[in-house]
Amino acid sequence: MRRSFLLLIFSFCVLQLSAQDPKLPLINGEFNNTPFARFVNHIEASTPYFFYFDARQVDSIRVNVKAVDLPLEELLKKVFLNTDFHFSVDRQQRVYITRKFQIVTTLPEGFGTGSGNDTGNKQLLVLGEEDEKEIASTPENKLYEVGIKTNTIKPGRTNLSGYVRNEKSSEPVVNATIYLEGASSSISTDAYGYYTLALPSGRNTLNIFSPGMKDAKFQLIMYSDGKLDFSMKEQVSTLKEVIVSTQKVSNIKRVQMGVERLNIETIKRVPTVFGEADVLRVVTTLPGVKTVGEASTGFNVRGGSADQNLVLLNDATIYNPSHFFGMFSAFNPEIIKDIELYKSSIPAEFGGRLSSVLDISTREGNKKEFTGSAGIGLVTSRFNIEGPIVKDKTSFILGGRTTYANWLMKLLPDPYDQAKASFNDGNLVLNHRINPNNDIFITGYFSNDRFNLASDTTYGYSNRNGSIKWKHNFNPKLISYFTAGLDEYKYSVNSDQNKLTAYDLNFDIRQLNFKSDFSYLLDSRHTFDFGASSILYRLRPGSFTPRGKESLVNPDIVAPEQALESAIYFGDRFNITSDLSLNAGIRYSVFNYLGARNVNYYTPGLPKEEDNIAETREFKKGSIINTYHGPEYRLSLRYAINDGFSIKAAYNTLRQYIHMLSNTMAIAPTDIWKLSDPNIKPQQGNQVSLGFYKNLKSNTIETSVEIYYKQIKDYLDYKPGASLILNHNVETEVINTKGKAYGAEFMVKKPGGKLNGWVSYTFSRILLQANDPDAGISVNNGAWYPANYDKPHDATAVGNFRVNHRFSISLNMTYSTGRPITLPIGRYVYGGAQRVLYSDRNSYRIPDYFRADFSMNIDGNFKANKTTRNSWTIGVYNLTGRRNPFSVYYVSENGFINGYKLSIFGNMIPFINYNIRF
Amino acid sequence: MMNRLLYMVAALVLFSGCKEEYDFPLRSNDVSLLVVEGVLNAGNGPTQILLSRTMKLDEVVQFKPVLQAQLTVEGKDNTSKPLSSAGNGNYTNPNLGMTIGTEYRLRIKTTDGKEYLSEWLVARNTPEIDSVTWKRTPAGLTVFNHTHDPSNNSRYYKWDYDETWQINSVFPSDYVWVSGSTIIQGSLPSSCWKYGKASTIIIGSSAQLQSDVITELPAFFIADKSEKISVRYSVLMKQQTLSKKAYEYFSLMKKNTESLGTIFDPQPSELRGNIVNIADPSEIVIGYMNAAKVTQKRIFITAQQANWSYPQNCSNILIPNHPDTIRKYVPIYLPWGAVETGPGTVTDYYLSEPHCVDCTRRGGSPTKPSYW
Repeated sequence: MRRSFLLLIFSFCVLQLSAQDPKLPLINGEFNNTPFARFVNHIEASTPYFFYFDARQVDSIRVNVKAVDLPLEELLKKVFLNTDFHFSVDRQQRVYITRKFQIVTTLPEGFGTGSGNDTGNKQLLVLGEEDEKEIASTPENKLYEVGIKTNTIKPGRTNLSGYVRNEKSSEPVVNATIYLEGASSSISTDAYGYYTLALPSGRNTLNIFSPGMKDAKFQLIMYSDGKLDFSMKEQVSTLKEVIVSTQKVSNIKRVQMGVERLNIETIKRVPTVFGEADVLRVVTTLPGVKTVGEASTGFNVRGGSADQNLVLLNDATIYNPSHFFGMFSAFNPEIIKDIELYKSSIPAEFGGRLSSVLDISTREGNKKEFTGSAGIGLVTSRFNIEGPIVKDKTSFILGGRTTYANWLMKLLPDPYDQAKASFNDGNLVLNHRINPNNDIFITGYFSNDRFNLASDTTYGYSNRNGSIKWKHNFNPKLISYFTAGLDEYKYSVNSDQNKLTAYDLNFDIRQLNFKSDFSYLLDSRHTFDFGASSILYRLRPGSFTPRGKESLVNPDIVAPEQALESAIYFGDRFNITSDLSLNAGIRYSVFNYLGARNVNYYTPGLPKEEDNIAETREFKKGSIINTYHGPEYRLSLRYAINDGFSIKAAYNTLRQYIHMLSNTMAIAPTDIWKLSDPNIKPQQGNQVSLGFYKNLKSNTIETSVEIYYKQIKDYLDYKPGASLILNHNVETEVINTKGKAYGAEFMVKKPGGKLNGWVSYTFSRILLQANDPDAGISVNNGAWYPANYDKPHDATAVGNFRVNHRFSISLNMTYSTGRPITLPIGRYVYGGAQRVLYSDRNSYRIPDYFRADFSMNIDGNFKANKTTRNSWTIGVYNLTGRRNPFSVYYVSENGFINGYKLSIFGNMIPFINYNIRF
Repeated sequence: MMNRLLYMVAALVLFSGCKEEYDFPLRSNDVSLLVVEGVLNAGNGPTQILLSRTMKLDEVVQFKPVLQAQLTVEGKDNTSKPLSSAGNGNYTNPNLGMTIGTEYRLRIKTTDGKEYLSEWLVARNTPEIDSVTWKRTPAGLTVFNHTHDPSNNSRYYKWDYDETWQINSVFPSDYVWVSGSTIIQGSLPSSCWKYGKASTIIIGSSAQLQSDVITELPAFFIADKSEKISVRYSVLMKQQTLSKKAYEYFSLMKKNTESLGTIFDPQPSELRGNIVNIADPSEIVIGYMNAAKVTQKRIFITAQQANWSYPQNCSNILIPNHPDTIRKYVPIYLPWGAVETGPGTVTDYYLSEPHCVDCTRRGGSPTKPSYW
């Protein structure tokens, strides 16, 4: 810089605002293709004007102008005509040449204490009239003016909205926390990096934090409502510190409770089996989240069953989020941006599941340049590429994963070496910015699993999802999202071992969604969220058909089911005072079970058994068979005692109209889903929770305690030995079960620093009671019994130590009480063999679970301009080699009863993974 | 299938998955429930009901029969037939004379004063067994059932079987040791018959097929090199039809006790049969009473047909006919042959292990069954 602005900033303290203009010097001269610098020299030599500019910015300017007694301002207007350069001249005849913005050389009226001439050792920047300008995260002491400039600033509230973007890739910065200095509440950018904020008119300081980004601070003057986009710089080296800030703000200030948010960086640091970063596996390390065992990515949140979690990938419902019996989750870590798990305060926009919402967001493609990454692991490899289609407007990201586990199968002894297993998944995300007020997002996803045991039975399942979303800003205060999507899940089993009994067994579920969501910022105290959604379900609960011409199999097709689930919701984010905030929401959901279908009606008072069918009614296509509806309340309250301590309380009610039917322990590929119908009531749940959040040591350590009590009604448990597949009258096999869950979750988290991680302890219980008279049978004589994922004590420590920027080590330890199991308590002889007599359901427990995992992350090179970057992950899963039982069971073998303990991971599992980014 | 799945999971984790024997620390529990096994035979054959009690897992005793109970089969046609005790918990009647289609129930009175009653059972007809076949594989031999019901009414089947096999001694004896060093001419049994029973629950259903046909239903498996087919083997397959509920009960019992613990298997669940304690309906009684005609079919398999070999470790020792030598070797080994230089002049004896000489030492009975 020739004459630095910085110099300028510190050099003059008070601008003289004298009443009289001095006589303007006039300029003469003819400039033909004159470099700007020479042009300046000419003027400076002949007039008292002195120029300030950035020589690099102006070196391309050639001046072609003829001046005859022109005042400087006229001349410069000619020079800069049709360029994005601006100029300002102050009263001391200093000329400031700027690009894109103009320097205001006078202070606005009403600025500071009002007299306008006694403050302002700041540089003032006026945003151009073109309204929306993107400003980079610049030094803190720049001042941005927003709105239509007025001489006096009216006291009151103004609204500011816009996007927060990554300066380098133009990707939106999601969940960036924006907070107004001096206020105790904060807001976050949404999934598109968009924010709306109400703030007092006049001077404001905004802080923006986001993981992975440099903290940014902006000084603003709000004249009236306006738009402002912020760019944030990526922060590679001080990533951790940024997380501290984000978490600090969120856990104390956020009104919602029981929300866990993890970004992919955190997820990738947690060691997992085979070193494959696994979204769901990390979720299960969070307090209040349990899993029945290793071969299951089904997870249980605060006493909820696995089907009570709504798993969303960019608004698409994923019915089976796992690969390979639950060994891997079905989400490609290279595509995922972050996850959010709602355990307690579930926003009113979500519904349809009882326990939790796991909202997984994918990244948006880089809008500036093509990049990609690839990774190789022991059993899977993955690849993704992203880039602009139209620079700064349209971008895509494409990712895929595939497995090559068959080589492992080949190592097995005959006949298992014939077994085959494979899976793959793919994602495509497109986003297009039509204009600043309209964005389109298109997401496509699929996952496939296929496995074949040495027998001729082949199993397969797949998810297919597609959605399109349109974001429209009516005005800075009213934002809307319209989403339409199609979600599909299906499985198939086929066998051709015996030609006479060869069969195909298929199940599928398809849902068509439409959703509209609005967010309206009334003022700094109220933000309204409202919207409506509809889901049209079509389930084919099972078809069993002959395979091949010789097959004698009698086709058995369970009639399809249709239903429409609709909901409207309204919520208010209400800042009652600066310390007290309330999120109140109501959702009203309506479920219509639709024809065509034949429905059984049972004699009232008698158990629902086939013998007691009073009548079977036939319903025509499209007719409403029956309707369930009801309100759901979502309330959460936060009171900030001080900056580092807050108390929150929440009350939630939820309804669920679709149920997974499974009487196996883990999520199995043959689990089917069932819609509520006249005989199967929707599940209902409510939860009250209370939480305390305190940050210690200047917010570097976060502590929290959350306690909850939850009730569940009409959860489905099964009659002993229920057969669910291809059952035309499934209602005869289920028992409406009541549940109660309660617990306390303690967490100490150090999000940043060289040593970071969290330690959590959870005490929780989930008890069920099945004494429904309609079932005609009770479990454990109608007494309360623990659900099979009831693990009262659970402790987890996840730690990461960053030795330097390129090398970090992670250690992860988890302990939990063994899960309940039904055990043999005696034996008897029947059919010539010793057989086992089982205890009451779930009255024993398997041994406690303990596991420690270790990994090292080695990054190749951090030079930002290097074209490729590679990294290695090396580690050991189950470091102590403990044989944690997945199950304990007894088998009658050759007339004797033998007890066995089954472990999925019985040894240390070393792994290595290589990743490259380009 | 489930075990294979387990193997696969284990494979995927580089052979680290494992299944270990495990002794579970159980709370002491004094459950002693009544177990009722058997079928009321609506055909012309005998009916046999077995009563026992459940035991603790760590009890040494292998079977606890219920003795001196009184069993009666009551019909809706006002008949009442007792079963008489045949010892060790067995109660029998040579022919209940039931009528197909009529309802019957079983009443049991135990010595502790409790009285149990089964639900009313329709005496069911059972089609004949079409055939019992077998297939040889390197791993062994599988026996299959085939049947069909032209009326399409049976649908649910249960099988039971009795097996008989002949065993032959490797060294049939011409000489017998009496005592001391005395060996005389004579013979020990060299052909015996052994008997076995089903030790799994075999059920099958044609409910998903267009016609009521059971083809190639695997009944049981004999592992390669089993003694059972060392000479000749016979199985008497017995077939009964079940109600859907009875089928479900047995299939649950089978699931609960023969295949639990792998990943996708269902949780064990309570068994609720159709026999109740009149005074206390909450008392669990194990077993599901059925009334059906029992049809049967016998087949034979020879070692030659099955290409079967049964290797036995038998020594063949030659010792001089000297009292001291005989005393040294016999009866650890038994004589079976001799080197005779003239009539009655034995210079040496051939000896072998007792089980290679005397087939009763292998648990066989020398009496040839009538059907052999």
